[in-house]
Amino acid sequence: MTAAELLAEYGDHVFDEIDLEIEADSLVGFATACGETHPRFVDPSHADFQGVPNYLTRIHGTRSLPEGFPVEMHRCFDAGKSIQVHQPVRQGDRVTGRSEIHDIYEKSGRTGTMLFIVHRMNFYNQGGDPLATVDWRLVQREFD
Amino acid sequence: MSKPSDTPETSEKQFEDVEFGEDLPEVDVDVSLDTVKVFAKASMMLADRFTDHEAAKKAGLPGAIVPGIMSQGILVAAIHAWAPNAKVLNVDTIFRAPLLVDSKPVASGVVTDIDDDTKVIEVDLTLRNEKGETPVVGTAKVTL
Repeated sequence: MTAAELLAEYGDHVFDEIDLEIEADSLVGFATACGETHPRFVDPSHADFQGVPNYLTRIHGTRSLPEGFPVEMHRCFDAGKSIQVHQPVRQGDRVTGRSEIHDIYEKSGRTGTMLFIVHRMNFYNQGGDPLATVDWRLVQREFD
Repeated sequence: MSKPSDTPETSEKQFEDVEFGEDLPEVDVDVSLDTVKVFAKASMMLADRFTDHEAAKKAGLPGAIVPGIMSQGILVAAIHAWAPNAKVLNVDTIFRAPLLVDSKPVASGVVTDIDDDTKVIEVDLTLRNEKGETPVVGTAKVTL
């Protein structure tokens, strides 16, 4: 299948959904290990205590790709992540993450063709307010 | 857990204070095994390729590797070391090569765009290893 055919078949629908509660220990551990020192990230008693901007990138769904998606994971690597922050995530938030295939495209070079799969997770809090959009670029080498 | 190489700005930074081309203070990054274990626990990334050098070598890696999202968090922390009040709107990180646990990377950044209308500042970010290679690069948009 071409990238366009894959996108037509697997894109544009939510294929996985998870929810979990955000705990202070996790927020603090993530922040301190990354080198944050500001109390709003490392002190749960701070009035504006919140997760660091990329905290939600740690959350994965129950599966990385839609059922039946024809990719060989052992030929894949993690090419990068981006996060668009809509509002801070906070201790006690009940977060829902919904996964979809946002984009699929090919790039060709001297060493062959690679397939880029953009896995998107949209995160919401318990009130349904958007928290963040996380795009994970998964690349399969030697795509043909 | 990381320490700025230079004296950090400890007070809030104002939009008017930022100059195009301005360098962020370099940060000596702590990616020791102990710190990565803190991150792994907080983010539930418990694969031993992150926390066990021997297990990582058996998997064909040169040693345990820093989780990509921890590298991203380190770059975000470098923004906050420069401007503690910075609000990160988005951050996009490219993982070019593994960053090794127990290495001595340095985080750096430079202001590459300032939008006077929207007050959005763009920063290019880099994690550099001891060989001068840049296994992780990124960009972020922030407001102050």
